[in-house]
Amino acid sequence: MRISGFILVIDSYLVRLGVVAILNRIQGVRVLKEFGAGDPFEAYLKSHPVDYIIMSQSEFDRSLELFIAKPELLEKTALLQDTPKENFTSGLPPHDVHTTIHLLEEKEAIIQKIRLLIDNRDQRSLETHSMELSPRETTIVRLVSLGLTNRQIAEKLFLSAHTVMTHRKNISGKLGIKSVSGLTVYAIVNNIITIEEVSSLPAK
Amino acid sequence: MITRERLMYRVILENLQLLPILPRFNLKPGFGELSVDEVCQAHEVNTDFFLEIANAYLDELYIPGEGLSLFSLDTMVNYITSTHTYYTDIALPTVEEKIHRLMEGSKLSEKEIHLVTNFFNDYKKDFMAHITQEEEHILPYVLELERQSGLEKPDPGFIQKLQSYSISEFEKEHDRLEISLKHLSELIIKYLPPFDDLHLCHEVLNELAGLMKDLVDHADVEDKVLIPRVAELEVSLLNSANSV
Repeated sequence: MRISGFILVIDSYLVRLGVVAILNRIQGVRVLKEFGAGDPFEAYLKSHPVDYIIMSQSEFDRSLELFIAKPELLEKTALLQDTPKENFTSGLPPHDVHTTIHLLEEKEAIIQKIRLLIDNRDQRSLETHSMELSPRETTIVRLVSLGLTNRQIAEKLFLSAHTVMTHRKNISGKLGIKSVSGLTVYAIVNNIITIEEVSSLPAK
Repeated sequence: MITRERLMYRVILENLQLLPILPRFNLKPGFGELSVDEVCQAHEVNTDFFLEIANAYLDELYIPGEGLSLFSLDTMVNYITSTHTYYTDIALPTVEEKIHRLMEGSKLSEKEIHLVTNFFNDYKKDFMAHITQEEEHILPYVLELERQSGLEKPDPGFIQKLQSYSISEFEKEHDRLEISLKHLSELIIKYLPPFDDLHLCHEVLNELAGLMKDLVDHADVEDKVLIPRVAELEVSLLNSANSV
């Protein structure tokens, strides 16, 4: 799982503390840095890969110029509001930020909103980096680890040797592991085979 | 963050994890009262480049800044090559020797010993293949690209090649060499029976961890520094060739 880096730009120390406590409960989230009232966070944005910003309304209003200059930041921003949405008076309409979190919301609702924020990004990155093996590929990794040749695997699974080769190639591509010994260790640490099975293989 | 005016000895003293990168710049401890900039200048090292690398090494979330355009790709290629030398001449042989000693003195079954030694041998082969591919194909291409960009009339043959090849192809196939080392550490910590020589076992694990961290960082330098710069250069060379 990729780690999502958050920065917080929140004037109230107590609120900041609360947001950190909530973020720490969510898997795959890391708070990179906290900024209080008026702290300059722009320089940090330039030199660090910040995935998301959680910002209080007052700090957001203070930074309007930045958001006007860099509208792409809005997409990664969650706004903390202590007034209900309909009383929104900021210069930018609320639908431009990715999400708004109301200070009076329950813990679960807040966690849910943050998860949605992250899922949105993960969906996109999943398409390019699918590392999961399919059940068929897992079976083949298991048989390779048990010392079977491609031909033996083909016979056992009623596949053509060519198909087995294609599977092997896809497996190497997904895992970045080409050698039999590499696949064997992968299979052990991923509980596809046990180390006892490896130890009891007949010597070649 | 490390800056040019700080004293080099303090920087290293406070960040001992930077030690493995010093030889890649031909720098040796014994810095006296010299600043980072002074040490770099005395050794003909580009200070900005050293700072980018050192800061990226210390902070995994650091994105190289505007200082990037200040140094040539040639500098970067040199650094990558000397990092490769560090892996092949120092890091890999060190951990390999320790793994062999650990296996020799262990009570593991023959199969288990085979598994570990084969694993490391194969890993080394893949590793060397990876480095060879980079040094024989990718890095010469990068240098040629930089050379062509500096020419008033770039070679039409090279431009043509550029239309069908991009450095991003390389990025797609860029293996993560550290993953296998993680598997090996996990094998030792979780699955193999305990080793009597605890000290040696810890040494092996520490070496593996150090190498893993180094590889991640090295891949970052390639993915976040080298490739974007090269891709940028590819586009500007193509654009200028098309506008002629």
